[in-house]
Amino acid sequence: MQPATARTRSRSLIRAVVPLLLIGLLAGCGMIPPEPKSEAAKSVFTLYNIVFAMGVAVFLAVEGFILYSVVRYRRRDDRLPPQTHGNTLVEIIWTAIPTVIVFILFVLSINTLGIVEARSDANSGTGVDIEVDGFQWQWTFRYLDDDDNPDNDYSVTGDASNPAVMVVPVGEPVRLTLRSNDVIHSFYVPEFLIKRDLIPVPDNESLNHLEFTVSEAGTYAGQCAEFCGNFHANMTFTVQAMPRAEYDQWLQDAKAGNTPRPTPQGGAETLELTANNIAFDTLELRAAADTEFTLRFTNQEAIPHDVVILDADNNEVFRTDDLTGPDATEEFAVPALPAGEYTFYCSFHPVPAMTGTLIVE
Amino acid sequence: MSVDAPTSMSAQMGAVEIERREAGMPTPLVGMLLFIASEVMFFGGLFAAYFNARASFVGEWGPVHPAEPLEIMPIALPITIILLSSSVTMQFGVWAIRRGDQRAMRFWTLVTLILGVIFLIGQVYDYSVLGFGIGDGVFGTVFYTLTGFHGAHVFGGTVGLTILVARASQGQFSARNHVAVEAVSIYWHFVDVVWIALFTTLYFLR
Amino acid sequence: MATTTLSPQAEAYSRSWVLDWLTTVDHKKIGILYIVNSFLFFFAAGILALVIRSELAVPGLQFLDVETYNQSFTMHGTIMIFLFVVPILSGFANYVVPLQLGAPDMAFPRINALSFWLLPLGGGLIFAGYLFGGAAAEGWTGYTPLSSGQYAQGVGTDLWLIGLALVGTASILGSVNFITTIFKMRAPGMTLFRMPILVWTVLVTATLILLATPVLTAGLIALFIDRNYGGHFFDPAAGGNPILWQHIFWFFGHPEVYIVILPAMGVVSEILPVFSRKPLFGYRAFVYATIGIGLLSFSVWAHHMFTTGKVLLPFFAFMTTLIGIPTGVKMFNWMATLWRGSISLTTPMLFALGFVAMFLIGGISGVMLASPPVDFHLQDTYFVVAHLHYVFFGGSVFGVFAATYFWFPKMTGRRLNEGLGKIHFWIHFIGFNLAFFPMHPLGISGMPRRIADYADNPIWMFWNLVSTIGAFMIAVSILPFLVNVVATFINGERVGDDPWEGNTLEWATTSPPPPYNFDKLPPIRSERPVFDLRHKHDAEHLREEQLPVAAPADEEGNVSGKPDGDGGAER
Repeated sequence: MQPATARTRSRSLIRAVVPLLLIGLLAGCGMIPPEPKSEAAKSVFTLYNIVFAMGVAVFLAVEGFILYSVVRYRRRDDRLPPQTHGNTLVEIIWTAIPTVIVFILFVLSINTLGIVEARSDANSGTGVDIEVDGFQWQWTFRYLDDDDNPDNDYSVTGDASNPAVMVVPVGEPVRLTLRSNDVIHSFYVPEFLIKRDLIPVPDNESLNHLEFTVSEAGTYAGQCAEFCGNFHANMTFTVQAMPRAEYDQWLQDAKAGNTPRPTPQGGAETLELTANNIAFDTLELRAAADTEFTLRFTNQEAIPHDVVILDADNNEVFRTDDLTGPDATEEFAVPALPAGEYTFYCSFHPVPAMTGTLIVE
Repeated sequence: MSVDAPTSMSAQMGAVEIERREAGMPTPLVGMLLFIASEVMFFGGLFAAYFNARASFVGEWGPVHPAEPLEIMPIALPITIILLSSSVTMQFGVWAIRRGDQRAMRFWTLVTLILGVIFLIGQVYDYSVLGFGIGDGVFGTVFYTLTGFHGAHVFGGTVGLTILVARASQGQFSARNHVAVEAVSIYWHFVDVVWIALFTTLYFLR
Repeated sequence: MATTTLSPQAEAYSRSWVLDWLTTVDHKKIGILYIVNSFLFFFAAGILALVIRSELAVPGLQFLDVETYNQSFTMHGTIMIFLFVVPILSGFANYVVPLQLGAPDMAFPRINALSFWLLPLGGGLIFAGYLFGGAAAEGWTGYTPLSSGQYAQGVGTDLWLIGLALVGTASILGSVNFITTIFKMRAPGMTLFRMPILVWTVLVTATLILLATPVLTAGLIALFIDRNYGGHFFDPAAGGNPILWQHIFWFFGHPEVYIVILPAMGVVSEILPVFSRKPLFGYRAFVYATIGIGLLSFSVWAHHMFTTGKVLLPFFAFMTTLIGIPTGVKMFNWMATLWRGSISLTTPMLFALGFVAMFLIGGISGVMLASPPVDFHLQDTYFVVAHLHYVFFGGSVFGVFAATYFWFPKMTGRRLNEGLGKIHFWIHFIGFNLAFFPMHPLGISGMPRRIADYADNPIWMFWNLVSTIGAFMIAVSILPFLVNVVATFINGERVGDDPWEGNTLEWATTSPPPPYNFDKLPPIRSERPVFDLRHKHDAEHLREEQLPVAAPADEEGNVSGKPDGDGGAER
């Protein structure tokens, strides 16, 4: 299963391993990563091979030395061998050897790290921006447009029998924003030699990003790499890389086939409130005094929220049921309230982003 | 390979009798200091959790709405002074027994115990009037966890002090033999230092 | 054989032996209790490993549902690390360290007993999850938010937290005891730099436990509060930070790796010299390397978190690669100890050599993982599983078996059968490599760890099947070991007090040693007092300070006078 170029690169290594041990041969077969299919992966691949070659050299030297010593210096009689306690010079030498090795390794690693972590400019006009939303236990890929209206974005969500597919153009940077609203997941494509965790964080600023440029059209398997609960193994996906023209055509077709989101219906007597990303969409609501009204509460995320209304003396006057999304909506009848300023907040998350003012007038 | 010695090698080959002598710090104190080192790391972990939560918190740090912000009066500052003075009284007790003055040692230990209990009562009263709970935002969680575990350690200290008072009543300590008093006092000072760090962090570093 | 017994033994026999063992405060009996208890947990967690490997032998779910699978690998990891490897090494240290120091017991015998008895209690609680709706199933690392109340609702995770806190408390108390014993109970003449190397590794290990474990306890408590009292430490929804758990866990978890490996290194460093009939090459360098590893271990935790995107990669990569230096020094010292020695391939020696050979592989894969770009590919794949098993199993568990074969004659007066021992070693060694080597290619080709099922890719199918066969070979290798232990215990060869021609003080007393261990000790003028005693008339092999004429020694045990001819410059 080894790709041809990888085999060439590793041939000299394999040649060194074969005569020693059968297991060495088996190792050589499987010890080289998949042929890299992204630009940054190529430098990681090179780095890996250098590191691996150093490892094999150390392995052969040390194991060879041990085997030789055990055979050569077997006990043959009762005479004591020379009682050598140590030697400062050799200690210094063999402190220096690993020091040099690890410094070389460190410098090479940091160089490669710079390549892997390089980020292109999102406004450069090339590449695509995709928001990756991991959840228990599949993925949503949302293609971010240039316009600011999220309703126009195309998104695809996978399920266990139909894992999500990420279509990307070849040769252009693919910029991922990695988001999770439940537990930690990790976006991993072995042939890109990279993974990055999707971490639930309270604010958008701390979201992780990942970027890669696919170098060759094709289909690449990916999978969640961070254990995320029962059906962790089902969190597979594929990345499908195609030339730009095909990609544009695909996106256009996909958008055309995508049903538009239903527009919310509102009435004078209905207050709309939506919770997402541990925040309400508005922190100020207005209602008429002494009149019953309807609170239409939507929770877009897979964690529970509710709405509690307190009067000026911090006494609870109303509380909705707990609502857990994604995309759960329920209407609640709120009794008539006297005019005044009220506080509403989520009792699960009494953070500023979920604490607002209800003005009844 | 086997030597098949009929007796142990030391007996056979003229080993010498052991002369053991104890020098330096008494063994129980070494143990207590090591235990306190582990306690330092325990509170270090909790403090790290506090500062991490504070650093990654979005919004205003402190008790969540609708609770009042933390104030050092009327409770936190007085109980802090009480706890600090209890360290002084503890040390009076230690100095007393080093002189061999059992009565003074018992008196000062009892005073320390009473001050410790007053601190605990004050702490519990403070909890009852603070207006926010352990589940009210991440501040509530770190506040009650830190002060709660400190309180538990103060309680452990009062148990130790009670034992000291009881043993002192039976005249078990003397100028030469009072390692338990030294050990408890080290622990009590440690608990005090933790409170200074806690008080500063919770009430002033906001 | 009773010439060294001094203390009154008669009182012990008036009680039943069961009560005697349950209430003992003798470090030797407590050590044996640790060892037996740990082996029981080893077998339990080993059965879980066979369950996991059976499920993974071929693609698809054959035996287990995903929940049982997740519980199995979680419990396997937790039990193996917290209730087998760490405690069994504590057990050997408990038995051997006071003897090697020439001490009558540990500094705090009753606390020693308490530390032991917390272990079956904590382990029982962790296992009790199976009785109450399922054990913990979030991996031995228990990452939040997966382990928070919202995603792990069973009581199993709470029991896991409480059990681990108890086990952690046990090891903290144990480490207080070890450090105090080592500083306060050394026999006259045993300066710090004459302590056996095992004692040094136990000293550094105990320091790591003392400083790292309480931080884990704080984390366990914080998670328990989140789960049960509405706390928000790790709850991103209320402003908490799930990554905090990873920092806390690995701040403990990386020193934990050295807690697991250092005592095994100490065991091996005792055994290699005995069966090479040479002193450990570069004793002082070895001590400094051990201390260096201990210090560095507190500054490398985030290399477990390279892919979180939340840590300072160059710093942690640099500190992590630095650990390769003292580890390399140790490896060279072991090699030089073998060089020009007089090597006997007894069973303990085979296991010790197996340790060196296998730990090397784990060390190399560890250095590879220290490189962040390489880690981005290999993190959370089977490569990491291979790495940690080469360190924990190829390293520590080989060390545990080396210690078992080496000190069994001291504990019982009887030597384990060498033939059965060698059968055990070879099946174990081959099975180990079959089971864990294939995990390298699996991980390199991208198979994530902790998945109950995997794609039917022919490479993955082949290596997984090989690995499963290897796992069962390891299980088979335990049978000759068990037969050996039972048969030897009943009717084994009696071999006297010093069957291996040992170097250190435990071989200067009877087998088994009497209560309080010694009434007489040989003069201690080097780290090999028993060797010196055995060869005291063998002047051509002795250095000046070992000659019966006592040389003036300074505080650290450096003896004035010129070094001898054969390479004494180091000391």
